[in-house]
Amino acid sequence: MEYRHYQVWGVLMRLYHWAFVLSMGTLAVTGLYIHSPWSLTFLEDVRRFPVAEMRMLHFEAAYVFIAATLLRVYLCFFGSKYERIWDFAPVTPRNVKGFFMALGRYLYLVDTPSRRLGHNPLAGLAYILTMAVALFQVLTGLMLLYPESGLWQGMGAWLSITQQQARFYHHLAMWYFFLFGMLHLYILIWNENYHPEGLISSMFSGKKFHGPQEG
Amino acid sequence: MVSPYSQFRPSFRCSRRSFLKGCGMVAAALGLSSEMVPSLVEAAASNTRPSVIWLHFQECTGCSEGLLRASHPDLASLILDIISLDYHETVMAAAGRQAEEALKSALEKGRGRYICVVEGGIPTKDGGIYCKIAGKTALELLHEVAGPAAAVIAIGTCASYGGIQAAHPNPTGAKGVGDILEGVPVVNVPGCPPNPISFLGTVLHYLTFKRLPECDALGRPLFAYGRKIHDHCERRPHFDEGRFAERFGDEGHKSGFCLYKVGCKGPSTYSNCPAVRFNDAGVWPVYTGHGCVGCTEPGFWDTMTPFYERLPDVPIPGDRGIVSSAEGAGKTVLGVTAAAMAVHAAVGIGKRLVKGSSKEKKGE
Ligand code: SF4
Ligand code: SF4
Repeated sequence: MEYRHYQVWGVLMRLYHWAFVLSMGTLAVTGLYIHSPWSLTFLEDVRRFPVAEMRMLHFEAAYVFIAATLLRVYLCFFGSKYERIWDFAPVTPRNVKGFFMALGRYLYLVDTPSRRLGHNPLAGLAYILTMAVALFQVLTGLMLLYPESGLWQGMGAWLSITQQQARFYHHLAMWYFFLFGMLHLYILIWNENYHPEGLISSMFSGKKFHGPQEG
Repeated sequence: MVSPYSQFRPSFRCSRRSFLKGCGMVAAALGLSSEMVPSLVEAAASNTRPSVIWLHFQECTGCSEGLLRASHPDLASLILDIISLDYHETVMAAAGRQAEEALKSALEKGRGRYICVVEGGIPTKDGGIYCKIAGKTALELLHEVAGPAAAVIAIGTCASYGGIQAAHPNPTGAKGVGDILEGVPVVNVPGCPPNPISFLGTVLHYLTFKRLPECDALGRPLFAYGRKIHDHCERRPHFDEGRFAERFGDEGHKSGFCLYKVGCKGPSTYSNCPAVRFNDAGVWPVYTGHGCVGCTEPGFWDTMTPFYERLPDVPIPGDRGIVSSAEGAGKTVLGVTAAAMAVHAAVGIGKRLVKGSSKEKKGE
């Protein structure tokens, strides 16, 4: 088999990825703090507004998260061949096949690795789900950030959720990201182990080291 | 049976109900548990009402007015009910020689036991000639009356720290009681005017526990002046999030946002105003849309002016308030992202055009 480097991920995709990771991490940590804040009183004169500052960090990270999410949605339609949604959404016959191939491989039912350069459709489904949860977090988050704005109140009414419900679901959905993060890391390491094609480094260089691909 | 004492009681005696209500309010202001209310009531209702001699110096009588003419008849009568106001120039009926007799006899009768309340600043320049009553300077009167008192309460910012008379350039050398007297316990109840509850709380504390309330470094009782206005102000969330009235009458002002930028001095003023409020109507300045001017602080005419400009060096979380700052950063991030998408799209279109034209060339 002939292995060589392929350009897979564009600059924007890689920027999106790391902006998403960092903002999500910041959001989870600050969000947990906001959820149950604590304070060291002897630090009171140095850091006078611990909760306010955590909330500010949360809001700033939120804007980065919004930007990253929007960027990913843009790339779903205007990105490189591998970044577009039709390359990995398990809806076309090719992708449905790929979906079961990947599932089989992860369950050790088949030995042949995926022959595609982009996301395998199983991962693709996970990413689409993540995007959906991210959008949900963005909407509920904006509803909580601007409780007095007619626009977000209107959206709340349309979804028929109250502020308190929005807070609850917003907090609940955070746990999805912890779950996703753990699985994502596990699968990455697993892949590096079985099929070393440079999955991790591809998020820095944009290149994958790959053998011949399926059509 | 009617107690023989009752006939000497002033006619403004309040009903038992309002008496208890007043004691309850004071207990709350003092931070006492409701179990203490009976002790307070007992002390307040005791027949040995402490003699009070009330001195007026450089002042406007606003503190007495605030105390007695509040929309709070209960409170006023409660005060007059629990103390024996033996000398008070503006409310007593006596005048001239009679008034002086009253002062003399109160001094003799109560020696070492009476409470001296001082209202107004004391001029000290040029031998204190700038305020004289019955031929005596304020300084002489203060030493004569407050010297032998069991305790001295300075009511209002003038008596506490000199007040407006002491403002720059302080032409009469006005001072507060605590700066002049030595060896007598002085409690300051500053404010312009102070909340009647703070004064009454001080008196009732003294009657109940036989000692003056615990005070801060400026001589103010901690129960009323232990906390910053800013730290229990109802507009505080707006301060933290960065929503300010920029001008009186603007949108922010109408929406009830924080008044810091139109001069509120709450961040460096200690008082219970937001908690206790005034005049039974549940209001205080910030509630009605006007910043605190810091009237309970020494020298506020010099240090808190201009009243309508923002207090310097107050840390606002996130510099501009957290939501405003985050929004600023957010706009930049979103702008950069939009620009990146635009460049990406332009490059894509450009590439396609180049490809297209090269195809055309090949086709030729
Ligand atoms: S600056 Fe004044 S109005 Fe604003 S929160 Fe502080 S005390 Fe309240
Ligand atoms: S709000 Fe400020 S200015 Fe007004 S009475 Fe209280 S301390 Fe004085």
